[in-house]
Amino acid sequence: MTQTFDRRTILKAGLGASAGLMVTGRVNSSLAQSPVRLTMAVWGGKAEVEAYNQVIAKYQAANPNVSIRLDVIPFGQFYQQLDTRLAGRQAPDLFRVTYQQVGRYALGKAAIDLSQFIDSGYSAAFTPSVWSAVNYQGKPYALPHHTDTFALFYNADMLAQAGVTVPTSLDQAWTWERFIQVAKLLKEKSIGSYPFAMSWQNSAVHRWMIYLYQHGGQLLNNDLTAPQINTPAGIETIAWTQSWFKEGLVPPSTSVKSAEPVQNLFANGTVAMMLNGNWQIPFVNQQMTKFKWGVTYLPRDVAMADDLGGTCVAISRDSKSPEVAADFLKFLVNEENMRDYISAAQFLPVRKSLVEGGVQYALRPDEMKVFVEQTKTIPQHLVSTVVLPTWGKFNPKLADELDLAFTSGQSPEQTAQNIEAHVKNILLSS
Amino acid sequence: MADLSMTYPKERSETTTSRKSGWWSSYRSRLTPYLFIAPNLLLFSIFVFFPLLYAAYISVHQWSLIDAPEFNGVQNYTRLLSDGQFWQSLTNTVIYSAATVPTSLILGLFLAIGLNRKLAARTLLRSIYFLPVVVSSVATAVIAAWLFNDNYGIINALLKQAGVGPVAWLSSPRWALPSIILTTLWVRIGFCMVVYLAALQSISPSYYEAAVIDGATRPQQFRFVTWPLLRPTTFLLLILNVIYSFQVFDLIYVMTGGGPGFSTTMIVQYIYQAAFASSEMGYASAMGMVLFVLILLFTLIQWRINRRTEQFV
Repeated sequence: MTQTFDRRTILKAGLGASAGLMVTGRVNSSLAQSPVRLTMAVWGGKAEVEAYNQVIAKYQAANPNVSIRLDVIPFGQFYQQLDTRLAGRQAPDLFRVTYQQVGRYALGKAAIDLSQFIDSGYSAAFTPSVWSAVNYQGKPYALPHHTDTFALFYNADMLAQAGVTVPTSLDQAWTWERFIQVAKLLKEKSIGSYPFAMSWQNSAVHRWMIYLYQHGGQLLNNDLTAPQINTPAGIETIAWTQSWFKEGLVPPSTSVKSAEPVQNLFANGTVAMMLNGNWQIPFVNQQMTKFKWGVTYLPRDVAMADDLGGTCVAISRDSKSPEVAADFLKFLVNEENMRDYISAAQFLPVRKSLVEGGVQYALRPDEMKVFVEQTKTIPQHLVSTVVLPTWGKFNPKLADELDLAFTSGQSPEQTAQNIEAHVKNILLSS
Repeated sequence: MADLSMTYPKERSETTTSRKSGWWSSYRSRLTPYLFIAPNLLLFSIFVFFPLLYAAYISVHQWSLIDAPEFNGVQNYTRLLSDGQFWQSLTNTVIYSAATVPTSLILGLFLAIGLNRKLAARTLLRSIYFLPVVVSSVATAVIAAWLFNDNYGIINALLKQAGVGPVAWLSSPRWALPSIILTTLWVRIGFCMVVYLAALQSISPSYYEAAVIDGATRPQQFRFVTWPLLRPTTFLLLILNVIYSFQVFDLIYVMTGGGPGFSTTMIVQYIYQAAFASSEMGYASAMGMVLFVLILLFTLIQWRINRRTEQFV
């Protein structure tokens, strides 16, 4: 799907843009004296696409010689299309990319080194974890745009029916035992078809590692040179998540290789709780009309842990105007535009000033507060692991092995052994 | 001078035309067939033949699509030998083919025979059976995924009414492949039925009249008249169905994604996963070449068997 803008949209945005640009003042219009056309490939729901369009319209109003086309590609086919276009030397100038994939594009020299376009102190404005995630061998290959993370959505009516109250602060987050107790209580009382579901489908199996880190485990050793999954912590985590399926606490159709959208199951009351990300808030808010709902903190075990989600934006090697693309990219992630984007699309900021100053969310601000607090629990070691350049190759193998454990009875010990072998063969291969 | 300049080009032109005409006359009969097949051949070359050659080239390289291909000899092929998932997906493909090909042929033939008779609403019934064939296979898969959905599918809803289930159609290794097979049959039977129907209608009634005069019963008419005359059609359908089965992708991609575990991972699904999920284009191409050779071998064997049988008949 290609998004275009009419003159009216551009003019409207232009008025606001002029004022905004005077304040932020980062657009270098001299870069685009002759007409330049840029293409930016993204995926996203309606709110995200509208938020991208707003920024593009502002930039175009300030830079009349630049036109930017937004290519919106479904997430399921995004990397396939992007890689094919890169192979054909016809990649878009800019592309959205998850932090887990930056290393792969940097390693393959498909994204360009952005250090030539930024000042030496530029990185200081971003939170350290995401800045490290966009760097490969000490050089930035993308600029952080936003982050997102996981928390526990709950059906307030169903939990009230079961007589369960949820934690109201991070330090009161349920333990694993309490979480399973609640799930079993819901099952015993036949409230909802299933107690809960986890969103780790569609190549998002890395989210399983939330539980691994909560249980004190790691996929790799501290210096990321050897596997560390085949340990008691690793095997117990596999066994714990496997027990969700064995004991009928989650729908069998929600394993890591399925295509079941768990947000649908939550919205229609099939499951009473859902482990999912903040970007689901607009969907749930719109679709879940028969029940009251809320968001609480992720369960914890020996530690708290959460997932590094979110995306950054890179410039492809095929860009004919990398300077202009870089100028737009810096405009996209400046403080004002980042704030506008994340508040409209329900994401979390990656600029220190916005993290510290807070962002006003129009939709469900109390629930967003839970997600903001939950970002404090993302382990740096987990971030370093999932941004390895070979993560993309390893990810499907991790999905295969966990799916075998969850659906086909493969033992946790065998699963840990197999994952360990894949780590050696793939993840640490470069 | 003026006359000469007028005459010379004319003579030259006539000579050229005459030469051209002579050249064309002598080669016309030989070249005309090639001119007719040229557009098709061109398209075939662009979209099938050259990609096939390129796949063979890539199969001896390591390539992630975004970097430059790196020659690695026969490593991709040797890796296949020890890749359990490759053999599992090949086994699944063979099981799937064995379950879908004969069943769709037999049921398609029965339906064609039934609908070749004078029945009320015959045209409507033919249309209903043929409908899944003309619908996009992705749309068919989406509908089937809804029907078989564990949580809100109509099949489980009906089973619940009958006091049975629910059955984890698409999320248990036991039922996922049968669900895929049933969906495939839903589509394929209609296709086989239409092709058989066309073949049945092309059989001259005089053969049956002669058989009746010779005292042949209905089963004997089928065995000695209908079946031998349907042999070329059966051969065609057999080849097409085997190729479709070995190349099945969209149904599985939409309905199960190859899971649960590897229970519905077919060879093309595995090739896709290697190419686009694991970014191993060289390894995927090597598997693609193996699949190409398997289908080619099967077709050649079938072709030879069919020729021998035809000679025997």
